[in-house]
Amino acid sequence: MSENGMSKEKWVAMFRDIGLDEATMMKWHGLFEVRHPDEHQAFLEWLQIPAAEIQAIRAH
Amino acid sequence: MYTIGQVAKCYALSRSTLLYYDRIGLLRPSGRSAADYRLYSARDLKRMDRIVLFRSAGLPLEAIAGLLEQEEDQLDRALEGRLAAINDEIQHLRGQQQVILKILENEGAAKHTRVLSKDTWVGMLRAAGLDEDGMRNWHVEFERTSPEGHQDFLESIGIDGAEIEQIREWSRT
Repeated sequence: MSENGMSKEKWVAMFRDIGLDEATMMKWHGLFEVRHPDEHQAFLEWLQIPAAEIQAIRAH
Repeated sequence: MYTIGQVAKCYALSRSTLLYYDRIGLLRPSGRSAADYRLYSARDLKRMDRIVLFRSAGLPLEAIAGLLEQEEDQLDRALEGRLAAINDEIQHLRGQQQVILKILENEGAAKHTRVLSKDTWVGMLRAAGLDEDGMRNWHVEFERTSPEGHQDFLESIGIDGAEIEQIREWSRT
């Protein structure tokens, strides 16, 4: 685990706790990708998601 | 046993790099051929694997030479030190990135960076359906589950130290 202590799992859990469901999260990634592709990449890297998985999320 | 040419090819390194590693004692080939050419053993290659790994972590050669002789816990400490140094560098670079963005202060420049601004982020949370209350909850949750991650995240979107303090303060109450 990195210094910043974040992970995809923690992030997803947090979003779920504040009431976002799977469908909303998927839609959110879609919007993120369309509006701010570079920042989307940077955000996913910040969450330390492996490159192949980032590709998959962004292509979705 | 492997010749220097084979090892160089295998690791995509130049022969001169391997000669240099030999000279500084980082990787000494254990054997010599009849014609006095360097020959590397399987054990030498194992050592080389670790050198390559530590190089890719950004450790300087002098540190690697020491690490190869060390116990596991000292290795961990060296890597933790390197990790801390990387984090400092990232923070430092973020600061420079923010300064440049402020100087240029225009859309065109922002497009060339991958920095998320606070406005972009708020826009994205809103797009996810969060209203003011939702965002507040999100900060509270963030602070609760991962205080360091919260700090790091706020720094990464260019919020200054004083405001970060405030946000984290009300997130805790």
